[in-house]
Amino acid sequence: MALLKPAESRLFLTPLTGFLLLFLGFPALVNLVYSVSSVSFETLRSPVLTGFGNYTLVLSDGEFWRSVSFSGRFAIVTALAECLIGLFLAIFLAPLLKKHSGLMAPLMLPLMVAPAMIGLMYRLVLHEFAGPLPYYLFLWFGDSPAFLDVNNAFKTLAVVEILQWTPFAFLLFYMAYSGISPDIREAAALDGAPWYRVLVWIDLPLMRPTIAIAFFIRFIDGFRVFDNVYALTGSGAGGATTSLSIYIYQAFFKQAAIGKAVAASVLLFLASLAVLTLINKLAAGRRRA
Amino acid sequence: MIKTLRWIVFLVAALAMNFPVIVTLITSFKSARELSSNPGLWIQSPTLANYASVLGNTDRFNIYAYLLNSTAAVLIGTLLALVVAFPAAYAIARSQIGRRLLLPVVINLRAMPLVIFALPLYMMYQWFGLLDTWTGLGLILAIVNIPLALVIMVNAIGEVPIELDEAASVDGASAARIMLLVVLPVIRPAITTCFIFGFITAWNEFLFGLMLTTSKAVPMTVGASFFFAASGGGVQWGTASAVMILGALPPALLGLIMYRQISASMTAGAIKG
Repeated sequence: MALLKPAESRLFLTPLTGFLLLFLGFPALVNLVYSVSSVSFETLRSPVLTGFGNYTLVLSDGEFWRSVSFSGRFAIVTALAECLIGLFLAIFLAPLLKKHSGLMAPLMLPLMVAPAMIGLMYRLVLHEFAGPLPYYLFLWFGDSPAFLDVNNAFKTLAVVEILQWTPFAFLLFYMAYSGISPDIREAAALDGAPWYRVLVWIDLPLMRPTIAIAFFIRFIDGFRVFDNVYALTGSGAGGATTSLSIYIYQAFFKQAAIGKAVAASVLLFLASLAVLTLINKLAAGRRRA
Repeated sequence: MIKTLRWIVFLVAALAMNFPVIVTLITSFKSARELSSNPGLWIQSPTLANYASVLGNTDRFNIYAYLLNSTAAVLIGTLLALVVAFPAAYAIARSQIGRRLLLPVVINLRAMPLVIFALPLYMMYQWFGLLDTWTGLGLILAIVNIPLALVIMVNAIGEVPIELDEAASVDGASAARIMLLVVLPVIRPAITTCFIFGFITAWNEFLFGLMLTTSKAVPMTVGASFFFAASGGGVQWGTASAVMILGALPPALLGLIMYRQISASMTAGAIKG
């Protein structure tokens, strides 16, 4: 194992470390400094330290809390639905996909399309004159809801997100399910266990780590959602669809409130760090147990 | 009976998940006149006029520029991620250094909302003149690609028998030579996977393209959204659809050709990450 000298190892790690420090470490530092400074686009290079005013501004901003609530609800609803539907599809379709593996391709296609593009495509799908969905709803039921108004925008966006990312959960679950040795299932079947018992007592427990990981990844991605929401509604319907990422983007680019935007970024950073630390601790604890 | 049910569930799922793509594809073959009377899912008189207009009339909306910008920035971002991550992956796989701190930090990076870094990066780019350039966008796309590339390569190098390195070392090869001439060729399939995966991820990126480019380096995802905002007097749905299909084609084709490798590596990245 001593083939690689420590000095050589460090040398090989240097490009990556340097690159990350420059593009993530330095920005993180700038974030921290600017979040406690008074700064505008005119005085970008000479921020004046002013204390925690920016944080007070953010924390007392109702819009900020509304965006946190949007992102939180969006993340939970979509991650749950994606995992449940994905789990069902993975297990129910497994015999079919095992025989015709080419059927995986259409189920994976949504993962290859940019979320921003999907958002734009739904502008067409849902458009009241050009969109096929309202057209058929009118044709068959005589009525079509306003998909993107204040009452429905959240549901619509959640469905858009779920339809695009269920394939991700499905894929992980299908791989985990296919990886379970058939011997275990056959043994259980020989003992006379019905399929639902095999599912509950063998398959699901064996897939539990994968389910936890898929839920975690989808929760994080749902919480930081930007592309498809921005492309479909902007922050639309009177700010009803402002996710936290969109809040930060707008504070910076639309209101030029740099201090506020940066302070919100730092808060998001701290929250993410707290969640990640917790998850890593849990995972490490499980591994040791 | 249950077999029929499985086929039905499969068809419904595939149709629902791909519905926006299907609708856009169908609309891209309809004339403006047909669209105003027939928003349904069939085409009365298919036409290539939308594609001809998008590819032929580039005064107002130059799709070639967006495709070129995306290709350039994505290639920079994907190749740079490989170049930077490969030696690090080799060091991590072959020694314990970097395994305790660097690897977990990079893996967790994938779960960080990158919008956090976007604002200071914007200011940094302004100082260094990197705003609205291929290099600027490419550099940040490399950051987006690095976590998965590192995980895939660490796993791949870990499966290369160390005896291979030892034999080369006995012959007097230096560590750098072993890494580049012995290990690199062996893990070529993993490198290919990283490249394809990175290409798709980077091509589909939107947030940094939106923030860090304005005109000269605008990528396809952002360019497509300009088209919706800019057209006064309502969106031309036929041409807009053609733009979206052409813009989504490169990663979709790559993905459909290589979906087997992608599904394997996506799983590996998620589980071991």
